[in-house]
Amino acid sequence: MTQQSLGEFEELVLLMVAALHDEAYGVAILEGLEEKLKKKVNISAVHVALKRIEDKGFVKSRFGGITEDRGGRRKKFYVITAVGKRMLDAQYELRNSIYKQIPKISFG
Amino acid sequence: MKSNPPKLSLRFFRWFCHPKLRDSIEGDLMELYEERKLKSGKLKADAHFIKDVLFLFRPGIIKPTEGYQNLNTYAMYKNYFVTAWRNITSKRAYAAINVFGLALGIACALLIFSLVRHHLDFDKFHAQADRIYRFVTEEHHGEVEYSPNVPPAFGKAFRDDYAFGEKVTRLCTLNDKLITLDENGEKRKFQEQVAFADPEFFEIFNFPLVAGKADGLLREPNTAVITGQIAKKYFGDQLALGKIIRLGSDIDFTVVGVLKDIPAATDLNTEIYFSYSTMKQYNDWYAADDAWGGITSEIQVFTRLQPGVNPTEVEAVLPTYVQKYRPKSKNVHHYKMQALSDMHFNAQYGGKMSINTIWILSTIGFLLVFTACLNFINLATAQAVTRAKEVGVRKVMGGLRAQLFWQFTTEAGVIVVLATLLAFAASYTVLPFMNEFFNVTLSLNVFSDVRLLLFLIIVIAAVTLLSGAYPGIVLSRFKPVLALKGNLKGGPGSFNIRRGLIIAQFTISQVLLIGLIVMFYQMRYVNKMDMGFDRDAVVMVPVGSRDQKLNTLKTQFEAIPHVEKVSACFGSPASENMWGTSFRFDTRTEAEEFPIYFKGGDEDYLALFGLELVAGRNVTASDTVREFLVNEKAVLKLGLASPEDILGKFMYANGGSIKGPIVGVVKDFHDQSLHAEIEPIFITTPRNFYNSYAIKINMAEAATTLPAIEKAWSAMYPEPIYHYDFLDDQIASFYKAEQTMLTVVQVFSAIALLIGCLGLYGLVSFMALQKTKEIGIRKVLGGSVPQILWIFGKEFSRLVVIAFFIAAPLGWLLMSQWLTSYVYKTEIGVGVFVLELLIILAIIMLTAGFRSLKAAVANPVNSLRSE
Repeated sequence: MTQQSLGEFEELVLLMVAALHDEAYGVAILEGLEEKLKKKVNISAVHVALKRIEDKGFVKSRFGGITEDRGGRRKKFYVITAVGKRMLDAQYELRNSIYKQIPKISFG
Repeated sequence: MKSNPPKLSLRFFRWFCHPKLRDSIEGDLMELYEERKLKSGKLKADAHFIKDVLFLFRPGIIKPTEGYQNLNTYAMYKNYFVTAWRNITSKRAYAAINVFGLALGIACALLIFSLVRHHLDFDKFHAQADRIYRFVTEEHHGEVEYSPNVPPAFGKAFRDDYAFGEKVTRLCTLNDKLITLDENGEKRKFQEQVAFADPEFFEIFNFPLVAGKADGLLREPNTAVITGQIAKKYFGDQLALGKIIRLGSDIDFTVVGVLKDIPAATDLNTEIYFSYSTMKQYNDWYAADDAWGGITSEIQVFTRLQPGVNPTEVEAVLPTYVQKYRPKSKNVHHYKMQALSDMHFNAQYGGKMSINTIWILSTIGFLLVFTACLNFINLATAQAVTRAKEVGVRKVMGGLRAQLFWQFTTEAGVIVVLATLLAFAASYTVLPFMNEFFNVTLSLNVFSDVRLLLFLIIVIAAVTLLSGAYPGIVLSRFKPVLALKGNLKGGPGSFNIRRGLIIAQFTISQVLLIGLIVMFYQMRYVNKMDMGFDRDAVVMVPVGSRDQKLNTLKTQFEAIPHVEKVSACFGSPASENMWGTSFRFDTRTEAEEFPIYFKGGDEDYLALFGLELVAGRNVTASDTVREFLVNEKAVLKLGLASPEDILGKFMYANGGSIKGPIVGVVKDFHDQSLHAEIEPIFITTPRNFYNSYAIKINMAEAATTLPAIEKAWSAMYPEPIYHYDFLDDQIASFYKAEQTMLTVVQVFSAIALLIGCLGLYGLVSFMALQKTKEIGIRKVLGGSVPQILWIFGKEFSRLVVIAFFIAAPLGWLLMSQWLTSYVYKTEIGVGVFVLELLIILAIIMLTAGFRSLKAAVANPVNSLRSE
């Protein structure tokens, strides 16, 4: 496989999955993102991003138990994988290293 | 309160969502919905829900159309084939019976298909064939006679008088005409079927030219068109255009066109056409504008109607011709139109292939395949028990009923495909013989023949489903627990269905057998039947002229050693060539209602053919009409009490031109094939009507007599071609077409029987295998061989008898129907059915008996020892 890519929104979702460790499922991720971003996010966008990063192997999923709410539907919990973590690290390194190259400029 | 988001929206989501994601996303949606409902009310929550669902409708979430389970089903399907193949190889005998039976059935079906298709294709290749019609005549004179011809003047009159026909053509077909080529003084002679045709003939019918100008073809008198084949035969590689060919002794024609070879699927298969404008030189009467007096079998009229013209409209105006030209005739003509597509099949109007035969053949083809399928079903369901464990395991492992069904159908499919390959090879091998037998050129080429390919595909699919479906249903119905425990008695009622199938098969076999027997009886009856005259050792030779030479040659023939008798005559007592005429009897003023048929023959005619006189005396020698003989039928039809009453009375035939006293009455004899009733006939002595010499020879000396006859004939007539026929061959040729058809029907019926026997053999051997232990125990306890044989026997004989009671009335009905086409026919007596039952029992004894005997005499020690 060639270098896996990670879109901006996908990266955010991946970060949120990592942050919510073991408690990350659709609605939790959505709400976490909305809180951090301070804007409305559509659930469909979250799910599409989740599916993509799962296909890429950055997260894995498991089903939770059946509960009374959610119409008896199981939650699907996402956990970041080692690959996903490395990807996040790499992204972070990259951004950080570029950021560090920024000359000290003062904006008055 | 329970949440209930918009139902439609939810259902939509469930429908499109990828099943793997469905649960979790739906859960999320619900959770969000609940929250929003609490926060901002149901309406907003609903709106949100709908919006979310709509946003979810995008790639990645929508389930893929090709199925979402990324299971590699290839392995499963491969396993179907592996299992099928293992089954075939492990039970070779049953597989062989199945494959062989199906192959036989399919091979016959293929051959029948190609034959039937060949006939259905007849004359379909003409442009606007649906608008092409032939004029035919119903002759009403007491009874109705059907003739595919019209009076010679009809064609031209119709073309001139009415605008119905876009094109109208006359066609005068002449058989066995002498064609002479004169090249540099070297004469070559041929005997050919030729035809006079109008130029329109080639505009109506699609016979394209390869050389010559299509425009104005055959318009000029004394022009001819020949086929490429004839051109090659006559002129080799030379250019045929411009060559001269001579008809008879004096009419010359210039070849102006060469046609592409005539396709096989047409009844218009003449290869030499002459311009109709030359007709006057050949036969004055045929060319005359007032020739309405009678019909000749040589002239036909075809038309292609204008678009939109209904043939009934045309038929409505045709009676005016009868009023105008034949107002007084007792033989009332009704002119009708016959569609081109009807021509090949309507036996009434001389169609070569009755549509009945097509149906019979198709039915037999179907039955052949069907019995083979029944075999398959019987064997497969009988063996179902042996597959029970497999079914149990497959079901336990999660195999669905539908999957099992398709598995068994696949197995059937493998066998059917094998059988089809075998069938194809077989029919390919047999085809040349069939072509020769039917004198046709059929071909089986899957790659260039779409319909054949389609037929094959349909046969494979239908046979697979027909034979695979029922076993598939039975097998897939097994309850896994019972199946694995092994106490399976077969599904409820399945045994009765199997009995039903066996009965069906026996019924088919027995109906076919009854058919075979009745046909055989009838043909034997026809061949053995006393025609009422002597037909052995009689040679028919054409006359060369109708003058004094005829008498001279007769005397010369009589002088040849071992020639017993010679008679110059119109034709043999029984001939297809009938000449009927209306006549007036004695002092009656009106012509009789019925026609009387002419048989010309000199004073030796009666003696030569062994015809008996019941009253009066023979005619005296004469070259013209002087005295008459009639048959008993004529006496009867005239309403006279006894043959003696007619003697000395005068009769006036052919419009009074043939007249004289009746001097004798001959005993009735068959004057046509046995399809027709005996007609009233008269015999008289006009030399100018004679066509043949009948020569009775001593067959032992034929090797010297025949050449001597030819020598005398050729010495007298050096120009024409000599040929001869034996009378019994001529008579046999009446039945040639049906004899051919019967042979085919018989062969195919026999094959159907054979397939039935194969299945029976398979079934009995399976039964024997299953009952091995039972038989062993019975024998140990003192059961005798006959008693054990009876275990097998009683089951089958019971089924045979049931089948017999279905088959007998059915067979009787069908065969009585078939026999109606014969006027003189054999009776379908009890004997037929007794014989049939005996034969079928014998066949069953032979097929089943051997195998059951083997089982019955087996040493019980062997069968009981192993567990």
